Amino acid sequence: MKRILSQCAKELTQFRRDRLTVALAVLLPMATLLIFGYAIRLEANNIPLAVQDLDRSPTSRAFVERFYATNQFAPVDWDGRGNPEALLDAGVARVVVIIPPDFSRRLDAGKIAPVQALIDGTDGNNARVIRNSVRSVTNFYLGTRSDTAPAITLRSRLWFNPGREEALYIVPGVFAVVLAIWPPLLMAIAMVREKEQGTIIQVYASSLSAAEFLLGKGLAYFLVGVAQAVAVFALGAVLFGLRLAGDPTPLVVGTVLMIAASVSFGLFIGTRTASQSAAVQAVATSGFLTALLLSGFIYPLSNIPFPLSLVANIVPARYFIEITRDAFVRGTGWPGVWSAPLLLAVLGGVFFMASFRNLKRMQLPG
Amino acid sequence: MKFLESLLESRLWALMRKETTQILKNRQLLFLLLFPPTVQLMIFGFALSPDVKHLKLAVADYAGTATSRELVAAFANNGIFDVAAAPSSPQAVAEAVRTGRVTAALVIPPEFRRDLARGQTPEVQLLIDGVDANTAGIANGYAGQIVRQFGYTLSGNVPPAIDPMVAILYNPGLRSSWFFVPGVLGLVLTLTSSLVSSATVVREKDVGTLEQLLMTPAAAWEILLAKLAPLFVLLVGEALLALGIARLVFGVPFLGNFLLFMVFTSLYICVGVGIGMMLATVARSQTQVVLTSFFVNLPLIQLSGAIAPIETMPEFFQVVSLVNPLRHYIAIVRGMLLKGVGFEVLWPNVLVLGAAAFLLLAISANRFRKQLE
Repeated sequence: MKRILSQCAKELTQFRRDRLTVALAVLLPMATLLIFGYAIRLEANNIPLAVQDLDRSPTSRAFVERFYATNQFAPVDWDGRGNPEALLDAGVARVVVIIPPDFSRRLDAGKIAPVQALIDGTDGNNARVIRNSVRSVTNFYLGTRSDTAPAITLRSRLWFNPGREEALYIVPGVFAVVLAIWPPLLMAIAMVREKEQGTIIQVYASSLSAAEFLLGKGLAYFLVGVAQAVAVFALGAVLFGLRLAGDPTPLVVGTVLMIAASVSFGLFIGTRTASQSAAVQAVATSGFLTALLLSGFIYPLSNIPFPLSLVANIVPARYFIEITRDAFVRGTGWPGVWSAPLLLAVLGGVFFMASFRNLKRMQLPG
Repeated sequence: MKFLESLLESRLWALMRKETTQILKNRQLLFLLLFPPTVQLMIFGFALSPDVKHLKLAVADYAGTATSRELVAAFANNGIFDVAAAPSSPQAVAEAVRTGRVTAALVIPPEFRRDLARGQTPEVQLLIDGVDANTAGIANGYAGQIVRQFGYTLSGNVPPAIDPMVAILYNPGLRSSWFFVPGVLGLVLTLTSSLVSSATVVREKDVGTLEQLLMTPAAAWEILLAKLAPLFVLLVGEALLALGIARLVFGVPFLGNFLLFMVFTSLYICVGVGIGMMLATVARSQTQVVLTSFFVNLPLIQLSGAIAPIETMPEFFQVVSLVNPLRHYIAIVRGMLLKGVGFEVLWPNVLVLGAAAFLLLAISANRFRKQLE
């Protein structure tokens, strides 16, 4: 135990000496939180919409007004002359609504009035949202024209996040992404540097056992990870107003296990790779990318297709996201998330054992 | 001919050959150039699917009428919702949503029967788990459509009098991979070009071999050019590989001019190499260069529209992203691949790329020279 602690102390001293690295170790997680927290918004507002109104009647103008009243669409300055597709080509508008000349006449005569909507499908998700909005704006406009009561009404209630604040969804996910990338990155670099500079030979020659060496080194970066976690949680509370929704113990336990799993993953990468740039690429590809894409951070986990969904099961961030979303939004506590910390502990254990075996294999017997 | 001969005998050529052999011997570097882009494209292309369908729905029908059963069937047949549970008590409904076992719960209250009999407008309730704000919003929209549609069939009312005929251009199948793949192409080029170029330069600083190179009569620019030219060729190869995957695996169309596309891609690789060089002049060790590259690359990627569309960002970030070369490169890729537009539309983006490449390379080459002298 004493040897583990002194290895840890040595590691922290070394870490502290490199001022730029220390600064980045703190700044990087915070920058990640800021960028992801502010820049990732899935719901599109102010989609540029151009209108070609060939009818130019009060009815058609009222219909067009409906689009801009939703604040989902922003008007594009266009005189309505020329080829509407050119606007989409140039990216000036994402959608063009074309109202035919006989629009109001047909509508008043009780006939169906066709309206055309050209949508830029480059971004499939956005296009789908735009299509749905065009339909619902149309329906809403028709509802304002007739005075018959609807046959059935739907009363929806959104639980946990009634205002549909996207920060409440995104920011707890960012916590997981931050802890899935920065602690393992620093850990892997520290580990591989030892190999690159040849200092690992000294370790082999010392009386320190492989397990003690890994535990000491891991403990040091575990502490760095804790500092990072505290920093981003605090920043999240201040900037995005995130508050604990229930019992804080699953979050505390989960965070400790997540950092341990992350650091173990970093150790594993560090023992497998030979150079720092390789270690970084490995963490970026296997850690960051999976935390970003296979964790349910952006789109629901259930959308991931079959073979990849298996990979998602061994992504620690996936379980930690369950914990953070519950802690900050849902507030169910242990009954809702009891399995996630367990699986984090298992993953951490597996990564640690794997790096232990890697290191053992490199060491001379004796 | 004379020019070619003098080139082949020149110092620069010798240096380039040395660097090329070094790169080709470096198996790990080749692996790094090939493996991550492939994996990244695959994961991005396949995993990021924003479609909302097969949401788990709990149904509690306390009315038990033929009409309410038809309404439940309308929900079940839509493809958006899968009826996953039929809880017996109101508590069980709430519990199913609270623990996240279902995304939404449809509750048809006992009053439904009475209201229907009296000719009043009956009300049904939908509880939605709002943790995923985006999905919740879309689910809510779909539920509204289903109920409205059902209402029309029920009342025999006139169908909607305005018929929006929606045509989707460039990506009629609404495949999300067509959006993500061009973004990942840009992302991959940014990451590898900056990381590889900075690492090559800094490694020599780290190991001290840069001093040896300086003892040779070669000029600083020759050393630099010899280092970067082979990397440049490899990165062009990487872009082609990514493009091939996009075509073959994801069936992304290529409507623009291929040669023009490669010219713009080369320009962007110069930007990436410029970023890497800049980092190399700032950092003293590999650790530092690697961390600073993340510090720079993360905002570049996030504010590029590769993952989340730029229009959805707050205005401030939209303005900031205008100076992001990656944003312009992705606009070029999407424009040329999906829309088939050329220079006549993309010239502002190309202009920004050119300016960025020139500035980054000029400043970093200058700084590099100063460091050496």
